[in-house]
Amino acid sequence: MVTKKRYEVIRFILSAIIAFIMFYPILTVLMGGFKEKGQIFSDPFGIPNPPTLQTFGEILGATGTYWTLIFNSVYITGATIAIVIVFAMLASAALSRIRIRGQKALFNFFIMGLLFPLTVAILPLFLQLRSFGLIGSRWGVILTQAAFNLPISIFILTGFFRQIPFELQDACSIDGGTILTFFRKIMIPLSTPVLATVTIIVFVASWNQFMLPLLVLSDTSHFTIPLGVMQYQGQYASGWNQIMAFITLSILPVIIFYFALQRYVIDGLTAGAVKG
Amino acid sequence: MISKRKAGATQNLIMFVLFIAPALILFSVFVVAPVFQGAFYSLFNWKGAGPLNRENFAGIENFTRLFADKYFKTALWNNMKVIIFSLIFQLPAAFIFALLIGRGKTRGSVLFRSLYFFPYILTEIIAGVIWKFIYNPQFGLMTQLASFFADTKREIALLADPSTAFNAIFVVLFWKYIGFHMILYIAGLQNVPTELEDAAVIDGANRLQVIRNVIIPSMKGVISISIFLSVTGAFNVFDVVWAMGQGGPVHSTETLVTYLYNFGYKRFAFGYGSAVAIVIFLLCLAFNFLYQKYIVGEEN
Repeated sequence: MVTKKRYEVIRFILSAIIAFIMFYPILTVLMGGFKEKGQIFSDPFGIPNPPTLQTFGEILGATGTYWTLIFNSVYITGATIAIVIVFAMLASAALSRIRIRGQKALFNFFIMGLLFPLTVAILPLFLQLRSFGLIGSRWGVILTQAAFNLPISIFILTGFFRQIPFELQDACSIDGGTILTFFRKIMIPLSTPVLATVTIIVFVASWNQFMLPLLVLSDTSHFTIPLGVMQYQGQYASGWNQIMAFITLSILPVIIFYFALQRYVIDGLTAGAVKG
Repeated sequence: MISKRKAGATQNLIMFVLFIAPALILFSVFVVAPVFQGAFYSLFNWKGAGPLNRENFAGIENFTRLFADKYFKTALWNNMKVIIFSLIFQLPAAFIFALLIGRGKTRGSVLFRSLYFFPYILTEIIAGVIWKFIYNPQFGLMTQLASFFADTKREIALLADPSTAFNAIFVVLFWKYIGFHMILYIAGLQNVPTELEDAAVIDGANRLQVIRNVIIPSMKGVISISIFLSVTGAFNVFDVVWAMGQGGPVHSTETLVTYLYNFGYKRFAFGYGSAVAIVIFLLCLAFNFLYQKYIVGEEN
């Protein structure tokens, strides 16, 4: 019994040390923005002394960069999520609820998309977007990213919709409802948790996406956070306290979102991966 | 009755087409078409403008040039390194993390779990920039450690030295993705039958024996998924490498995708770049096929 307790203590201490190592890089950033320029060089990993809010003030007060990036990231991610949810739900409903021939082949056609990462198609995509006049446009990023998120979303949603018993649908049609009624009154309310999973997967993929906007967006006024951070750290190469403050402000929304909903985020991301 | 059923079938068909059309069109235009166009472009010596005809048709020349290029070999080797290092270091470490915090009700395990997992949701570019700060030669961690332990004032510039740069980047990949594999293993641990474990302990098995003979065999499914995702992910590494040095110094940290960007897109060599893309795709496909056939297939 004593050894068991001792084992638990060792386990706790070991876990805590690993947690410290894993999170310290993030902590360095969160503290870095509060440091004065001198301290970031003399004591890059320590506690801010004296702490200053000046750098944050400068970034938030300036019109331009930071707010523009946040706006673009929210705009692009929001539009991507909306398109994926609507298109994938409609397609999955058709693939799982309307009994028709050739359904299975179409499903497999979408699932094949899981084999094509964005990187593999990036050059022809660039030419394709150019011929549509979408280079330089946020919609070039949105549509492409939405398309690449369809396979996993359709896979998850179709799997879920298939589990809804056909008796429910029959009951609905006996009561005079069309498939649209069934869709609105039964399927959408039932699928809230699985829609949350899809939203989280698409959110993370879209929010962090770098290569696609790097190729598509040329005007800095359209830049998203990853592009902006890349550009900012090139511009302020020696102003590490500024870069840290900038990164802190950029990841703050994600940190809040993550620690508030961590269970859903972790389960959602891994569920998607395991099913994929 | 028959005509009514027929009407129903037509109605179903219309409904089906309406529902599936938006996703099908978007998917075909932005995913499927570019992949096939890429396969076609890879046979031409083409700058992305003008006609594709007999004059710029190159056959497999792009591919032979590719495999003769020393930077492409570096890139391929770096991708292999990510795969090998992940299998040797990252996945076993993730397994140990899972054993540490994923079982029973250890104090703080929920907090630990979210701290270990956090790097995974962090934007890759931001992760890269953070580690550039940590590796900074003037004041970074390595330089500080060196002056603390070895009492030298020497600057340690891991990212500027071609012989160490890629290993330094691998550390970041290790840190970034370990939490993901840990979570998979934690999910797998829930499926290990406790009776079996208890029985093994009663029979006098020590902890290592329990892990090797009871826990690992019952987690085979999850482990094979984790290996699969690790390998396919490794073929597509880009953002972190880009943030930390864009494939430099002197192309020493080039990976297949940074190579595609630097030698294809940047030089407007769309034929040559497409050939790189096709190689990446075929490598993934071949791995996928062999893995499903020999590893996953064996289990079933």
